[in-house]
Amino acid sequence: MATTCKRWRWLGAILCALSLLAAACGGSPGGGSAFGLTERPESSRDPGESAATAKPTAGEDAARALSDVSGSVTISGSSTVEPISVRVAELFRDVAPNVSVTVDGPGTGDGFKLFCAGETDISDASRQIKEAEAEACAEAGIEWIELRVGIDGIAVLTNLENVAVDCLSFEDLYAIVGPESVGFTNWRDAGALAADLGSSTSFPDLALDITAPGAESGTYDSFIEIVLEHIGETRAEAGAISEDESATTRPDYVSAGDDNVIIQGIGGARGSFGWVGFAFTGDADVKLLAVDGGEGCVAATPATIAGGEYPVARSLYVYVNAARAADAAVSAYVDFYMSETGLRQAVSDVGYVVLTDDAQAVTVTNWHRRRIGG
Amino acid sequence: MRLGRVFDDRTRRAVTSEVYRRSRDVRGGVFRVLLQIALLVALLVLAILLVDTVTDGWSILSGRLGDFLSGGLRSQSGDPELGVFQGIRGSLWIAVFVIVLAFPLGIGAAIYLEEYAPKSRLTSFIDLNIRNLAGVPSVVYGLLGLAIFVRGLEGLTGGQSVTAAGITLAVLVLPIVIITSSEAIRAVPQSLREAGYGAGATKWEVIRTQILPYAAPGILTGTLLSLSRAIGEAAPLILVGAVTGFLGGQSGLVDISQLQERFTALPIIITEWVQESGRDRGFAPAAAAAIVVMLVVVLLLNSAAIFLRNHFEKKR
Repeated sequence: MATTCKRWRWLGAILCALSLLAAACGGSPGGGSAFGLTERPESSRDPGESAATAKPTAGEDAARALSDVSGSVTISGSSTVEPISVRVAELFRDVAPNVSVTVDGPGTGDGFKLFCAGETDISDASRQIKEAEAEACAEAGIEWIELRVGIDGIAVLTNLENVAVDCLSFEDLYAIVGPESVGFTNWRDAGALAADLGSSTSFPDLALDITAPGAESGTYDSFIEIVLEHIGETRAEAGAISEDESATTRPDYVSAGDDNVIIQGIGGARGSFGWVGFAFTGDADVKLLAVDGGEGCVAATPATIAGGEYPVARSLYVYVNAARAADAAVSAYVDFYMSETGLRQAVSDVGYVVLTDDAQAVTVTNWHRRRIGG
Repeated sequence: MRLGRVFDDRTRRAVTSEVYRRSRDVRGGVFRVLLQIALLVALLVLAILLVDTVTDGWSILSGRLGDFLSGGLRSQSGDPELGVFQGIRGSLWIAVFVIVLAFPLGIGAAIYLEEYAPKSRLTSFIDLNIRNLAGVPSVVYGLLGLAIFVRGLEGLTGGQSVTAAGITLAVLVLPIVIITSSEAIRAVPQSLREAGYGAGATKWEVIRTQILPYAAPGILTGTLLSLSRAIGEAAPLILVGAVTGFLGGQSGLVDISQLQERFTALPIIITEWVQESGRDRGFAPAAAAAIVVMLVVVLLLNSAAIFLRNHFEKKR
């Protein structure tokens, strides 16, 4: 390399200057001898690690056992569930620093494709596994354990001064923001369409100002999936709208990526309307509307969401590869997920609704019994 | 005689208008203003973009730059360990792969095409194909990387690793390196070659002592611009399997043993945080700060290019 460096000094100079690595100049980055090494040097620059080892806890023995566990856990799937699994991984790393957890979020469907090809240990999902996906898994000989970990609730909002509206049905919501509501500027306009769809809700004579998540948001997708899609498909069959429009909203509203902007928008006009993830409503000065999903009006509260009565909510799952569940690293990670730290702290840290105690118990039991299938 | 008079009048008019600076060249003036507006718009957009990004990311850049540069992917924007280190690491290794693979291969291919290859139909066909390859969308290269470097050569690359990503992006910029290097070599005056041969030099000696030194500034500019492109690409990396959520078990910047492990890169982190900002708005400034970090990395590369180019221009 020395003689080469003299003659091709300029090439060497680029190597040094650009890679900003001292090693890149004299050595061979990507040299063949380096491949195949799997040693994992301890991450000494990790402040969280020392904090965790210094913390004396009740289950010190268990913690010590966890710190001996090594291996890797590969997780992929829903980008909605991704933050929970990441939060669990962060907390888990403090107690089991030698386990390398990788979390990715390409989407529920893509996640199941990888999972059923045996490429991931755990698949995050914002819905239950579909029959076709389960068949693909079965064909590949992959058995799974379904674990419900949390709930993603969506709050439907209006202004505090909008006293005329308290509860809306799915038909009403479709009439306000569905694809057929383009151009509606008054609640009355939506009321006429809602009446056509069989709703008996009375709408006020108020200007309709919609501020809601845009198409890039997961909350937007969830709202369509839960509320609009079903009615949209029926309307498409009836010929009122085209097939392409069945799973969309009206395009003419103020869309915002920032939930706080949406809440400000809702607070800014008397006849406002919008929706955000339930966790973001906190103590905001907005009115949470009750929603009638066919079984009467239910207000959005942590209890009704966790209990499954509030209709604009969906469960979040992780699917564990049953064969990989025997692996020390994978089982330690899922054990941690199933603890209070996982199902309670991690879920609420990233803004989702924690399961009821009973539902948590079911999840934990399913895991401990390694219950195969849904 | 008559013709001569007309000619004289025109010439006189042109000269007087030039001397007295009477702007009779109205169309030329309008064209010039249009060009200035075009330049102004381009600069304005760039300035707005820069100011907006830096303002958005300022809270992080001024408040916790050190932690930000050493942190990793996290679930919450308020996490003190949130940062871009893992992305910088991935992007730098990608740069190393591009430098080690694409530069020698590309420059070599360019020298062959310009100096050795016979000017046949086959050569011009190859040339045309390389130009087409330079225009292929980067996602297509991502698919290629997924099929060949992630799946096909899993034993060598370790699957969804920074090695596979580096090789993919090296292949992505290879046509650009070949084209820019070819142009630079083509711009070497023929007289230099002839003088070399005239003095009794062999072909290899002419290339080594005349052509390469003369073409070096041009080659450098082109290759380093292609490196900047490689560092800014996100689409192929998504297909090759860059991680968006959490990356455990990572270590130092120059740890070669990690080359076969999963990875992430700066453009991927930026994309992810922009998406996360819908859930947790604190990710928006983090994304802006990550953009600034990436801009600085690319600017460093470009200034290195300018520095080296000036260096070689002086030498020649």
